[in-house]
Amino acid sequence: MIEKEVTVTNRAGLHTRPASMIVRTASQFQSEFFIQKDGYEINGKSIIGVMTLAAEQGATLNLIFDGPDEQEALVAMEAIFADGFGEVK
Amino acid sequence: MTEPETTSEEHTICKGIGVSPGIAIGPAYLYAKVSFDVERRDIDPEQVEHEKERFEKAVKRAERDLHKIIAVTREKLGEGSAEIFEAQLMILRDPTMYPEVVSYIENHGINAGYAVQTVMSKHRQVMEASDSEYLRERSNDLLDIQDRIIRHLRRGRILSAVDEETIVIAENLTAADIILFSRRGILGCATDFGGPTSHVSIMARALGVPAIVSTHGGTGQVKSGDLVVLDGIRGEMIVNPDDETLASYRVKQKRYARLQLQDKQLVDLPAETLDGHPVGLQANLELREEIPLMEENGAKGVGLFRTEMMLLMEGRALVTEEEQAAEYSKVIEAVAPHTTTFRLLDLGGDKLLPMGHREHNPFLGWRGIRILMDKPELLQPQLRAILRASVHGPIRLLLPMITEIGEVRRFKELLEQTKTDLREEGMAFDEDIPLGVMVEVPSVALQADLFAKEVDFFSIGTNDLTQYVLAVDRGNDMVAEIYDELHPAVLQLIQLTTNAAKAAGIPVSLCGELATNLRAVPVLLGLGIDTLSASPVYLPAIKRVIRAMKLSEGEGLARRALASSDPEEFRSFMDRWLEEHACGVSFFLEGPDG
Repeated sequence: MIEKEVTVTNRAGLHTRPASMIVRTASQFQSEFFIQKDGYEINGKSIIGVMTLAAEQGATLNLIFDGPDEQEALVAMEAIFADGFGEVK
Repeated sequence: MTEPETTSEEHTICKGIGVSPGIAIGPAYLYAKVSFDVERRDIDPEQVEHEKERFEKAVKRAERDLHKIIAVTREKLGEGSAEIFEAQLMILRDPTMYPEVVSYIENHGINAGYAVQTVMSKHRQVMEASDSEYLRERSNDLLDIQDRIIRHLRRGRILSAVDEETIVIAENLTAADIILFSRRGILGCATDFGGPTSHVSIMARALGVPAIVSTHGGTGQVKSGDLVVLDGIRGEMIVNPDDETLASYRVKQKRYARLQLQDKQLVDLPAETLDGHPVGLQANLELREEIPLMEENGAKGVGLFRTEMMLLMEGRALVTEEEQAAEYSKVIEAVAPHTTTFRLLDLGGDKLLPMGHREHNPFLGWRGIRILMDKPELLQPQLRAILRASVHGPIRLLLPMITEIGEVRRFKELLEQTKTDLREEGMAFDEDIPLGVMVEVPSVALQADLFAKEVDFFSIGTNDLTQYVLAVDRGNDMVAEIYDELHPAVLQLIQLTTNAAKAAGIPVSLCGELATNLRAVPVLLGLGIDTLSASPVYLPAIKRVIRAMKLSEGEGLARRALASSDPEEFRSFMDRWLEEHACGVSFFLEGPDG
């Protein structure tokens, strides 16, 4: 199991499009994926879960991966967060 | 289905706003959106597997629906609007939702519909209780999906999907609904709510489905199976028409089809009066995907590009400067060599306000330029994006809801500052973009001389101008009758505007619904309007009238309209005029003998 803290950088926060991107990316990997925010944990492969995080710009999230390809999954997920889901700002 | 209580000798007429022209005749299909509570039903243990299969099948069908919706939405409205449905597709197989429904069926031994309702309501309540406005709105997506699954679970039972060859009557429809309906061959649709620029109206026009909106309780006047005539031209729906009405509408329907064919031949002909005066015909658009419609209908440029839809449909108030610049550039390139007139974000009034702001009297409140000047975080990205996109082709910039000249002056300062910033950043833009104002508040028309010296063009918005000068909210049934866009007071304001424009040598266009009223077209040209801008599907009919009149006739008609004290009399006078000149819709639909 690995964990990593990331920040939501895009201005609009985790609205529908970024949420779909997160779920789609996570679903490409076997590893289980959870996101923690303010002591609240959700299944990162669930779009309902990701949306209910209501994470806004500047929010800090803890990403947790558990499984055979957890390293690759983390790298892929960090990349889309770093890119601000292609929205930046 | 219950029988109508009376065998109605008299038919019922529901008035609304025609948003997609055409005539449909057929049985009504009352489309009840959501909130049909599913009853809890205990099932035998051996039925559990069957119930789980039913759930899976319903999900599969819902997936098929959504794939269709996504394909059409992408084509007609663009990638951005399809994203919401892609998210809905993911919700169907969501790893917290799907297994939860299945285990609910297993553990409680109950029917699939009740399980779906219970599980999804729970998730919805979490979203609805959120502090985030965005999330509260998104709970509607869950409701949409719940509705879709339950509908499919009931397939072959009470409420199936919409029946073919019906006229769909609903409180409200989404663009997705109408896409699916049109695939099932519906004849038309009528909704209680909505306006000409709501998503469903744009989609109806794009798909060529006759539609009226804002029937104010039309759903209460109709039962499924009632025979309905839907007149998308006049914005009327006639429920259980008498034989005579029905027969005349059957004739009209045939004639309308012929008329459309004839109008197609006008597309390549110039918009010019019989005495040789050219008239500009431009399109009102809100989405890039509507540009093909503009070309098909012979528009020369975009007289009004509304930016609200593009910026708000993503469900977030702030679309970045980069995204906007990319989108505007594509619009400009597609419209070039013709000009695109961008109206800056016009929020407030009957449109959504940012930050959940609510007002008692929104039409007299914080809207249009008033919001933009207060909220640089809305104005700046848009202004910069439009300027940056201007290198791709000719554009004009239009300010919404201007009331006094100080607003124009303050905006100009801001515009200069923005240009300076862009120059310093090394960004290219067109240095000579014409700046115009909407003439929609009477004060601007009354002071048009003053404004004409400081702006490059006028665009008259008759919907707001009418409601402000007559002090009437046309959405209010109690007073809607007072709303008359051809009222002499409205026409006087238009004339003040055109006179001032002429004296200053600047162009003046009209982009309100009045442009689509064929009775008004000769009057408007007579008043000195040089360009009419309307939703593209209406342009061929407008051109038909222009090509049948002399400008000198229009001037005479304008004088008559200004002096008229009886709106009903003037309307019937114009109807006769259109018939005599063989260019009114009624001429074609009702024949020369009326």
